[in-house]
Amino acid sequence: MLDKPASALRLRERLLDSERLMEETGCYDGITELTLRNQDPLKFETLHTKLRAYCVSAREMARRISASPGVREVGEMVVAIYTPEGDAIALSNGIMVHVHTMSRFIKWMIKNGYEDNPRIREGDIFANNDAFIGTVQVPDVMDVVPIFHEGTLVGWAGAVCHELEAGGITPGGDVCLAQERFTEGLFVCAEKIGENDEIRRDYVIRCERNLRMPIYWVLDEKAKVASCIDMRESVKQLISEIGLDYWMKVSKEFIEEGRRAQLARTRQLTVPGIYRGHTFYGHVTAGKPGFQLLGDPDWLYNIPIEMEITTDGKITMDFEGTQPWGYHSMNCTPAGMDGGMFVTLTQHMNFEGLVNDGAWMATELKLPHGTWTNPDNEMVATATSWALLLPAYGVFQRLLSRGFIARGFVEEAFVGQVNSPMIEMGGESQYGTPFGMAHFECAAAGSGALAIKDGLDTAYVGWNPESDMGNIEVWEQSMPMVYIGRSIVPNSGGAGKYRGGCSFVSTWLINKTSHLRLHTSEHSSRVFDNGGMCGGYPAPTCQKHRSVRNSDIHELAAKGEPLAHAPGIDPHVSDYERNIGGDHVVVEGPYITSPHKSGDIFSHSYNGGGGYGDVLERDPIKTAWDVENGFLTRQAADQVFGIVLKDDEDGYPIADIDATAERRAAMRKQRLVKAIPVADWIAKERGRVEKADFAPEVKKMYASAIKLSPRFTSEFSEFWNVDARSIFMPGAKP
Amino acid sequence: MTSYSKEVLGDLAAGKLPWPQTRRIMSAYKDDDRFFKMVAVYQDRVAWTDPILLPVSDHLFICQSGDERITRCECGHSFGDYRKNWKLKAAINVRNTEEALREIYPNSDLPDPEWMEIREFICPECGTLHEVEAAAPGYPIVHDFEPDLEGFYREWLGKPLQQT
Repeated sequence: MLDKPASALRLRERLLDSERLMEETGCYDGITELTLRNQDPLKFETLHTKLRAYCVSAREMARRISASPGVREVGEMVVAIYTPEGDAIALSNGIMVHVHTMSRFIKWMIKNGYEDNPRIREGDIFANNDAFIGTVQVPDVMDVVPIFHEGTLVGWAGAVCHELEAGGITPGGDVCLAQERFTEGLFVCAEKIGENDEIRRDYVIRCERNLRMPIYWVLDEKAKVASCIDMRESVKQLISEIGLDYWMKVSKEFIEEGRRAQLARTRQLTVPGIYRGHTFYGHVTAGKPGFQLLGDPDWLYNIPIEMEITTDGKITMDFEGTQPWGYHSMNCTPAGMDGGMFVTLTQHMNFEGLVNDGAWMATELKLPHGTWTNPDNEMVATATSWALLLPAYGVFQRLLSRGFIARGFVEEAFVGQVNSPMIEMGGESQYGTPFGMAHFECAAAGSGALAIKDGLDTAYVGWNPESDMGNIEVWEQSMPMVYIGRSIVPNSGGAGKYRGGCSFVSTWLINKTSHLRLHTSEHSSRVFDNGGMCGGYPAPTCQKHRSVRNSDIHELAAKGEPLAHAPGIDPHVSDYERNIGGDHVVVEGPYITSPHKSGDIFSHSYNGGGGYGDVLERDPIKTAWDVENGFLTRQAADQVFGIVLKDDEDGYPIADIDATAERRAAMRKQRLVKAIPVADWIAKERGRVEKADFAPEVKKMYASAIKLSPRFTSEFSEFWNVDARSIFMPGAKP
Repeated sequence: MTSYSKEVLGDLAAGKLPWPQTRRIMSAYKDDDRFFKMVAVYQDRVAWTDPILLPVSDHLFICQSGDERITRCECGHSFGDYRKNWKLKAAINVRNTEEALREIYPNSDLPDPEWMEIREFICPECGTLHEVEAAAPGYPIVHDFEPDLEGFYREWLGKPLQQT
């Protein structure tokens, strides 16, 4: 009777019971009093610390089993311990977004009768990467194992790794060309992939025959299973020390305490009220090879978010008014949206106390059915969900930050995470073997600014608070390209009193291959998607790709001629074009093109974060340092920030404080000369709105939002004093 | 209980506190007396005497002005009733051409001004740039924040506001 549950109730009944108790009492699992915590708080806290230590230790051990530089170098992994019903009790650091998506996976199995078939027994291993069951995207493959204690199911151990290759229509993990589920790669749908602590050979064979680089996926599976077994054995040992009854109670009290801590933290750090913000995503694929004409090739999405904080401390986020799902890879499931919320809360608010699923339970997401946040069609692709998740949760961070500023906690205000493109590749490796890989140096973009300082340069992504770009040498071992440049992108942080963190650009020489497919994803090149705050500007939009086919770089090197190591600061002519001969290519949006070969050059820029505060208040001395170190150009310092720089005797820039003050006073006056009253602008713009005098993609965006959302329609109509439906959906039935 | 002097909080808000000290504040348990101390810091910073009720941006405050509660710029300019969107009383500069966007982004690739414009909301009196919206043309101006001022003072601060 190895699958005997802890109570007389079956798992499914216990799960439903737990949900009912939460609904009836407002407390997790009906726990209205933290009895064990009150009895012995030290024991309570010590036990949670132990659980967290089990998780951190298991993850570190597992990273050394993995062959993937994504997991070994960058830490694209997280592990967690769950209740029998699938609620996270404790978790490691890493890609914490998946702590809650794994919770959904476990609950899905319970609700879908897995107790009867395929049964849940000691030593079983279950895996999933289906976002409609519980993950974000296909490369996020999760494994869970049940924890039994003397025949009783007492919890689960789970682990997720982001795979660098998923076997999709294009190589890598974030498959930008996927327009439906069927091109995203190898799906494992809540499948029992092992028994008796051993991964099934037939599952491994399936992976080996359906992936371009199975060594990453298969060794990651072994790493995850090892970490789960490690956590399981630790928990069993702990239970033998503290007793089963205590474990079953304390594990749930941890979660209820986490829920209460989140509510208390909201009441401590913010102000109740309604917060609003928006971001956009503008994508182009027209004319690119491989994209099927299933929907509009170029499209614009609006992502409006209304956040309410009530006086009991509950946070509700409402996405009403956003766009429908589409035939592209950027849709998201509710599991992914939950995950985005969870990872943002854990790093932004829940940075002390017990971090677990309780935090998520103190919030609510309103995800309109049929939109990209909650598709009403489970065939849609979610391979690059992050493209929309990241800017959306960047807005969430700005909304929370408004609350922190209002409450006086200026040091916590943060303009937020950014959307930034990434590179996928495959073909023939430098060793002459087939390969496929996602390049995870992207895990070190620029962050948004803070309300008291500049953002982090090349050091932050929202999905992994442990952001790390990895070592160049390790990446070079894994792909047929060598770095000929990696440098800061000047002005890539949004301008402001405190600028956004800057990003970087890499330049590679393709090496020792005759067939290298390079693709990129998560491009919002037509709009700003990483906004600023309190007067700060958005970060620049996604930069174009620049490559050189059939370059003469080897001839130049042989002659000792200067090369180009970065695109430079002239947006019209790059340094590659100036210094290197060959066929120059400039591509906006996803890079989908014919394979490269040795001797070609490729460059890719990542994104910086939004700025904070009025640019004319930026510290001139700090700006001189920025110019000296390549974070800002002299041109930007002068024309954007109004800072007059001169050179010291060694030629380094120094700020002329008096001249700067004079110039800024003039710029401030000029602002008022150019600006008009908002009321006048509205009166003028109304005429344009009435005529729908907008680009086709803009009109389509309004029509879609109006079709899906009565609230968007009424707010739009009320603001412009027009009938939005008749303008954007003429002839439609009311 | 953690607590900081008004001087420390003033330096923190002004971005002048040394980073190691700032870092310690970020990592420490939060100070429960922060709100009113920070309001006092801001009150010292402004030249006007209306009591500040809530900071809402870098240089915008909701304050009690006679019987009214209004949004006021640090320079003293009033944007009217705090429940209304202050942006509607601001001055605006819209960047919806490549040339105008290039002024802010001199060395970068630009978005398409047909798809996206930048709206700068400026104090009509002092010229401070209070907020920047990046929005599709025709997108309604956002009302960023509608605080539950009464609920905040009554239930979270335990000091109900006087009825006006």
